[in-house]
Amino acid sequence: MRRAFLLACLPALALAMGTPPQKPATTAAPQGRAATLLRDDDLRAEPDPGARSLLRLARGQKVRLLADRGGWSQLTAGGQTGWVRVLSVRAESDGADLAGIAQAASTPADPGRAVAVAGVRGLDEASLVGATFNGAELAWLEQFAMGRDEAVQFAQAADLAPRAMAYPVPPGGNVPAWRNEEP
Amino acid sequence: MKPLHCRRMAALALLVLGTAQAADLGDILKGLVPDKKSAQAPAAPAGQAAPAAKPEDQLLQALLSGKTSVEEETRIGRQIAGNLLGAAPLVRDDSLQRYVNRVGRWVSLQSERPDLAWRFGVIDSEDINAFAAPGGFIFLTKGLYRRLHNEAELAGVLGHEIGHVLRKHHLKLLRKSQGIAALGGLLGGKMKDENQLLQNLIGNGAEIVARGLDKDAEYEADRIGVVLSARAGYDPYALPTVLADIGHVAKGDQRVSLLFKTHPQPEDRLGELAESVGNKLDGLPPGQNGDKRFYRLR
Repeated sequence: MRRAFLLACLPALALAMGTPPQKPATTAAPQGRAATLLRDDDLRAEPDPGARSLLRLARGQKVRLLADRGGWSQLTAGGQTGWVRVLSVRAESDGADLAGIAQAASTPADPGRAVAVAGVRGLDEASLVGATFNGAELAWLEQFAMGRDEAVQFAQAADLAPRAMAYPVPPGGNVPAWRNEEP
Repeated sequence: MKPLHCRRMAALALLVLGTAQAADLGDILKGLVPDKKSAQAPAAPAGQAAPAAKPEDQLLQALLSGKTSVEEETRIGRQIAGNLLGAAPLVRDDSLQRYVNRVGRWVSLQSERPDLAWRFGVIDSEDINAFAAPGGFIFLTKGLYRRLHNEAELAGVLGHEIGHVLRKHHLKLLRKSQGIAALGGLLGGKMKDENQLLQNLIGNGAEIVARGLDKDAEYEADRIGVVLSARAGYDPYALPTVLADIGHVAKGDQRVSLLFKTHPQPEDRLGELAESVGNKLDGLPPGQNGDKRFYRLR
């Protein structure tokens, strides 16, 4: 559904960005969104870490992002179409607003959207600022409180096994000042 | 101003001036408290600022000094959570709420604060958003839940919000700014009971969740969300998948207006996450998606 929407936006994108057609494939416009590789990685034939590598991509390389699916991004680079991890590539945000205009003009593709448009008040700033304490809801929430043992059983039922992993440091290794206040 | 108030004010002023972040508060105090009255107030020796303090003062003092107990943190969080639920109630679906609590509780067990009274809820709003309040109150909207594809994505979203609680991001926000408002309320002598003080502490309604945190706090919560869900045995790429998905929602869509106003753009969050995660996920055995067990909205 999302890919179809993306394709539908292509003419508008190309028009607004003034990008000349690069590689005529199925359409005259360049496919997808402009994106940049964030790390050296393999472009894989399938969205699977064990899939065959089509091409080695280098950090900083410019590619076209076609779709995102389950933690993988589909892209074209060097004439090949394949997959990398979603964290290996960064889409330029340029096209987002244009996509928004295109989507607003099209039929709602999302079940929730029609409801939102129909006038159900969203959780906007005004409604949050004006909110008053609802003790009954808070009490209702309490009944679902989960004990440690029950949570562990729930995990075991799905063979979820705990794994060790340290928190990574932020880019540049700078620990924010407020972090130092932690015990 | 009654003598009692003067004493409390003086004690509070000492406390406030003694904290590192209070230079601006000190200035405000100067403007609010007449010098003559301050001079007449019995001198409260440093270190004895608190003994006469009433419970409501203690809460404020704890917040301003950055040393809230778990009990105090939970009281603040309950007030925020209750107000948020005043803006939008919980979805009336027992199975959904129970499921979200099971997933969330399991993820919280992977954190350094496994014994907080963690509570998770899906609120009845088509907006796409999620919220955390101190003490372990975590909410996501039905609109966001509807976009999720599997249990791992839910775990990633909850892990992000758990991260805000772990690092006390909202308490720090309150300490920095809402302390001033609370002080104003105290000066005005309007403080009748603890609930009122609590409300003064957190501002109007649930505005604190509408204000937005520092972007570094959001990036940190993203890192924590990935790590906690990885520790819990889930696919660590699930949170990035949700971020990428949210990035595809039109910027002008009213369902994401508050989310985009209070968070960095999804592209920036993914970029930041990629930089910090680097190749740390490469050697990790693939986690589970939990798509079979995922509870789907009716």
